[in-house]
Amino acid sequence: MNQDVFIVGTGQTPFGEHWDKSLKDLMGEAVTSAIDNSDLTALDIDFIIVSNMLGERTNDQAHLGAMASALLPHRPPALRTEAACASGSVAVHTAISLLESGRAENVLVIGVEKMTDVSSEEISLSLMGAADAEKDIPTGLTFPGIFGLITNRYMHEYGLTREKLNKVSAKHHANAAKNPNAQFRNAIPEEKISQSPSIADPLCLLDCSPISDGASAVILSSTNESPIKIKASQVSTDTLSIAERPSITSFPATRDAMDRALDEAEITRDDIAHLETHDCFSIAAVINLEDLGFAAPGRGIRLYESDSKPSVNASGGLKACGHPVGATGIKQIVDLIKQLKSSNEKYALAHNFGGAGATCCIHILENVS
Amino acid sequence: MPDTPSTIHRAQKNIRKKMQEGTVISFTTIVHPPKGFGKEPRTVGIIELDDGMKTIGQLTSSKVSIGQRVTPRMRLMRVNEQGLRTYDVCFEPMEGELVQEKEFTGYIIALTGPSGVGKTTISKILTTKVGDYAAKVPILTTREPSDQDEDEYEYIDPKKFEILKKQGRLASCSRIPSSTQSRWYGYRKSDIEAIWEEHKVPVVITEMGLLQDLVRTYSRRSILSFGLLPPGKSKRLMLSCLLHRLRTRGRDTDASIDERMKNAERDLDFFEQKKHLFDDLIVNDDLDSVVGLLKGRIMAEVRT
Repeated sequence: MNQDVFIVGTGQTPFGEHWDKSLKDLMGEAVTSAIDNSDLTALDIDFIIVSNMLGERTNDQAHLGAMASALLPHRPPALRTEAACASGSVAVHTAISLLESGRAENVLVIGVEKMTDVSSEEISLSLMGAADAEKDIPTGLTFPGIFGLITNRYMHEYGLTREKLNKVSAKHHANAAKNPNAQFRNAIPEEKISQSPSIADPLCLLDCSPISDGASAVILSSTNESPIKIKASQVSTDTLSIAERPSITSFPATRDAMDRALDEAEITRDDIAHLETHDCFSIAAVINLEDLGFAAPGRGIRLYESDSKPSVNASGGLKACGHPVGATGIKQIVDLIKQLKSSNEKYALAHNFGGAGATCCIHILENVS
Repeated sequence: MPDTPSTIHRAQKNIRKKMQEGTVISFTTIVHPPKGFGKEPRTVGIIELDDGMKTIGQLTSSKVSIGQRVTPRMRLMRVNEQGLRTYDVCFEPMEGELVQEKEFTGYIIALTGPSGVGKTTISKILTTKVGDYAAKVPILTTREPSDQDEDEYEYIDPKKFEILKKQGRLASCSRIPSSTQSRWYGYRKSDIEAIWEEHKVPVVITEMGLLQDLVRTYSRRSILSFGLLPPGKSKRLMLSCLLHRLRTRGRDTDASIDERMKNAERDLDFFEQKKHLFDDLIVNDDLDSVVGLLKGRIMAEVRT
């Protein structure tokens, strides 16, 4: 980091089905709560970045930068970022670059997605834009399908059982029961996970993050201090199609971003107290812990078998909080700040990826209070 | 869905490449296919084709297992809104053909490139510099020893070579065209496995036949494959650079240089046609930087 960057305000809407709210309504709600949460006024914001993946497909709405800017009285400059499910963290990464360059001093980062306005068939095709449109889509593959392929292979290589995999979603649901903004606040017994309808064998409905509406926002500042500082922000990429990779049971982009983030923050894995990882499907949560270096290959499930440091997806993760694609990466940061403040620990890490790990963005937060 | 005539046309160009048998890496049955693919569950697999390329394709049956052999079939995939019928390659599981899953035993570094590009020099420097982590695999050859050869070859009687091949004790073998004699080259499995046992990375010098065979034996995943290109912006310039190097190193007769140049042209085309067999294509214009890059890759593998 070439510049101290503080997170001075956070806000979000509850995630879920908001049939009565538009993209603009959701953004407005998140922005208002973020500004209320900070010591700043709306007029202090000098740049806006909006993260969104599917506006054109779900609401025929592009040009979200200008739409967001119109929410503030002085219409600051604004732009939009898109990196599939990693759009949110990439927006934060972009905001940090603006602060580091001196182009802006207080940047408002908004993530928004409105997925329930179209049919689930349409959404599943739209989300395939995160994979390789010419290689993967013509086979009739879906994202649950891609992760079904990954799960089957992972089970084959490492002997993970279906019963053990149930622990992932069960834990996320249990954690979300305490999160007022989560889409699903009900604990689910382990055995019910694999009894839910099959989606892409061996993945069942309760292994998959849901289709959600929601928005989240953070305000980053280089001039106003706060107890939460960003220590590292790293982006790494990989091929869009999993068929072009040597192995499908690990995501090299996560490994690479993690190495660089730890270097940038000058800390070790052991310093991290809270972790929010990108559990778009239960198997991803397991692989993430291995790629982030908290478990050896094939052993990621062990962190779901006991409560150890670091805490993993205490918010409920994507599975139980909901996954409004563009809002997720920012919401992870909002949740980690709450966790750092309540535990008074020093470091937390947000891991957000797009597609099947084709873009991975990692942020490390430091509690300086 | 990208279902316009032009996108379908682009997709059709790749169909021929997929018309080959392969092995199932993984599969899944998608209960709710996306819009445009009907309501019936679809089984989709990720297939490693026999030339080492991987592809995603529909499987004709959901009764399949990882490691099963599959054979390609052309099938009607879908009819778009304008009535355009799209055909694509599907894969049919072959009865009783469950191949032994190639277990991942370790990485092999393969250097591929035309004659004169510097494979031998690079592998020699590399295995000297990181001798604790990497070792050269001896090349078996049936050709006559020549005075210009360095210690890279192990000469073997053509009959003995044939026996090793039949017994399946070769990791890879290939015949390199030559007008004067039938030349076979190959690697012994036992040589490669001995290096793994010492916890080192084997380094092999290959050409297109040897590389493809090696992929068949150990799977594409095991091969860290580097293509070495001579400097030059066009194929013609690359070839003239090779010719210059072959002449100055003085190991070959004029006839042999002619032959090597013919093969070199084929090798350069191979890089284009079989991109998926290479992790990196490196231009050998500065020996130190090429060796440095390869050394980095070896050290990264050793650490993990």
